[in-house]
Amino acid sequence: MSEETTSNAKKFIVPIGPQHPALKEPGHFEFTVDGEIVTGAAVRLGYVHRGIEKGCEQNTWVQDLYLLERVCGICSHSHATAYVLGVEKLAKVIVPPRAQAIRTLFLELERVHSHLLWLGVAAHEGGYDTLFMYSWRDRETVMDILENLSGNRVNYSANLLGGVKYDVDQKQSDEIRKGIDFLEERTKYYLNVVTTDETFLGRTRHVGQMTLEQAQALDAIGPTARASGLQRDVRVDAPYAAYTDFPIKLVTANGGDLEARFIVRINELFESYRIIRAILDNLPEGELTARMPRRIPEGEAISRVEAPRGELFYFLKSNGSDKPERVKVRTPSLCNWASVTHLAVGHVLADMPMMLAGIDPCFSCNDRSVTIRKEGDSQAWTWEELRRYGIEYYK
Amino acid sequence: MNLPIPPVIALLLFPGGIFLLGYGMIYEFVDRKLVARFQNRIGPRWFQPLADWVKLLAKEEIIPDGVNAGLFLALPVVALAGALTAALYAPVAGWIPSFSFRGDLVVTLYLLSMMTLCIGLAGANTLDRFSIVGATRALTQLFSYEAPFLLAILGPAIAAGSWQISDINAYAHSNLWMIVYQPIGFLVALIGLMGKLELPPFDAPEAETEIVSGALTEYSGRGLALFKIGRNVELVVGLTLIAAFYLGGLANPLEFILKTLALLLLTAGLQSLFARLRIDQTVGLWWRIGAIVALVQLLAILAGQALQAVL
Amino acid sequence: MPTIGAMLGDVVHSLFIRPATEYYPFIRKSDPERLRGKLIWNPEKCSGCQLCVKDCPSEALELVVLDKATKRFVMLYHADRCTYCAQCVESCRLKCLEMSNAQWELASLKKDPFANYYGREGDVQNVLARATQKSTESTDRD
Repeated sequence: MSEETTSNAKKFIVPIGPQHPALKEPGHFEFTVDGEIVTGAAVRLGYVHRGIEKGCEQNTWVQDLYLLERVCGICSHSHATAYVLGVEKLAKVIVPPRAQAIRTLFLELERVHSHLLWLGVAAHEGGYDTLFMYSWRDRETVMDILENLSGNRVNYSANLLGGVKYDVDQKQSDEIRKGIDFLEERTKYYLNVVTTDETFLGRTRHVGQMTLEQAQALDAIGPTARASGLQRDVRVDAPYAAYTDFPIKLVTANGGDLEARFIVRINELFESYRIIRAILDNLPEGELTARMPRRIPEGEAISRVEAPRGELFYFLKSNGSDKPERVKVRTPSLCNWASVTHLAVGHVLADMPMMLAGIDPCFSCNDRSVTIRKEGDSQAWTWEELRRYGIEYYK
Repeated sequence: MNLPIPPVIALLLFPGGIFLLGYGMIYEFVDRKLVARFQNRIGPRWFQPLADWVKLLAKEEIIPDGVNAGLFLALPVVALAGALTAALYAPVAGWIPSFSFRGDLVVTLYLLSMMTLCIGLAGANTLDRFSIVGATRALTQLFSYEAPFLLAILGPAIAAGSWQISDINAYAHSNLWMIVYQPIGFLVALIGLMGKLELPPFDAPEAETEIVSGALTEYSGRGLALFKIGRNVELVVGLTLIAAFYLGGLANPLEFILKTLALLLLTAGLQSLFARLRIDQTVGLWWRIGAIVALVQLLAILAGQALQAVL
Repeated sequence: MPTIGAMLGDVVHSLFIRPATEYYPFIRKSDPERLRGKLIWNPEKCSGCQLCVKDCPSEALELVVLDKATKRFVMLYHADRCTYCAQCVESCRLKCLEMSNAQWELASLKKDPFANYYGREGDVQNVLARATQKSTESTDRD
């Protein structure tokens, strides 16, 4: 933003957030507008920082599983799976294949739930409340399936260090199949609505257009990048859990605009249905857990998981005791902000909530504290200093 | 109904005044319930609009910094007054309008636009950015739908040969329903009414997910209650006018209830079918399609009349 | 092919079918079998290993040891601290713990119903008496 703009042009900043009906979670966006055209955008995050990474160091490995599950409500099982895969890598424990398959089943069910939720929220941002209500009504089907399987609609707590808690028997398998059949029909209907309804296309076509080169330069991940043609999916690049036995077909689109992001996510739903049916048909026999030591041996491990929003990255460091030394979480939404701020320029103010919804932001996942310091300048912060900094930052 | 009602009673009790306020709340309930049923959910109970109104009146009215306090407090009252006055000339509740003079159609239409002007002024009054954007959008939308809407209301007036609402009402009652030979005008009038009342898909001026509440963001308590009531009254008056002109005139209360409810059903359906249009798309739609279609309808009416005169 | 009002079929159909909203609490669905509600402890099988206490992520369980040799324990369960994760159920090797699927409406206006004492009849009263005695002693001292 140059300082020598014409003195006649007034800088008119419309703040979206931290409290705004467009955002489901707090975050601050400043859009500089000229009439209705956006000329600049700035992002400020950090309103939901809860100190989870520090909290992990005070709890044992077993307790951390449940703390990390609650980083995010919609991708909670992805967080738990990434953590558990990392710890099992450190402890060099092989998990029985039935447990891996059930973990994958939960992962795909969570993807279905997350994408249906996103469909409703994105429709609501565009003013299309009818689609919002119907897609959330159909999401209740998958929530009921998850409740029957695990006992809770959100935060399933299905993982254990070394396996899973819950088994899938014949009755549940039939219920899942029935639910998935119903959802598949409804998803076909939603794909039709999203690609043919004129008023909705007016809100999504050519909005937030990101070419393949821009996606690579801005390092977008997840369905946002796949909608521009970028072939990036951890389930295909580095398969984990049971994805080696049940491979995924990569879903991409070429438009790069909001409509393409809708199409990519709905097609991912079809892929998820296919995988769920494949897992239910070919569930391997065996036990559900493997024996896991209480003290995890020393070492460092990395685990990557494809959350519904993109690649989720965990770094775990152990010093041989029963408490972790360091847990570092890098969530997918963090990589996609650049695409919003960079591409917002030139659009109308009315497109901003739609573009924000297009990358499927999950603010609670996002907030970590990162301080970038120059070489040779190290500083250790005490608890009081951290707290005082937090209070000053928001003044 | 032809029983004359003394003007004071008409202004304060029936069919204007208290009756209209209550009836507006009933229609707001029916509208919300219908939209909810279209979206496969339950919707509010019958006393919800009354409860909302009572709650709003009980809340503190906060006057933000930097506004003109007199204007801030007076605008909701003026908006409601405009809507209630417009009801005096329309056949609300099937009764003949208590005040009727030549040319009162034009006066009524201007009074109905008073609400939008007040919203625009209210938004421009405050320093809040959301309100200014909302006010700009409200006035832009006013410039876009007003012309086709007026043309569509003009059609029955030309067919009836009068600018007096009670005359047009009587003409519509004794002839074939005008929706049959002016269907395009009916559609333009109904959709124009949705634009005037800022119902979805034309709710860009108060787009909840973009600019919080548009021009009314800073309003709370009594001011907001009066604006909401004014909108309900406009809904009733607008539906009355369209039912009177296109659906064969309103001669008694039963016809009034049935015809306006049918129109409300249609309006609720249209509300739930579409996504919100951006303001530039709204203007484009009205000036490209709406105005041309309304002009075509007008030319068809004139041609029809010329043909009748020849034959 | 672009259409206007792509959801027309659904919208009109919804006028004639029941709304999808559940009329909770007037009409309730049956509880799912695996629902994780309030924790229930069976004192007969407990061996006092306290693995459940160690593994709880939110310190919701406390085991009061009355007599280790004859295995008489009283468990204090804080229902307001519990996250309903069921880790304790898995940690217990003797299967003394389970999560009820019927008691899940646990809201309350006071704090008292959240502190649950589980155990044999006489043991629980013993512990409660000791607890009230301690609190009266501390109020006397103040």
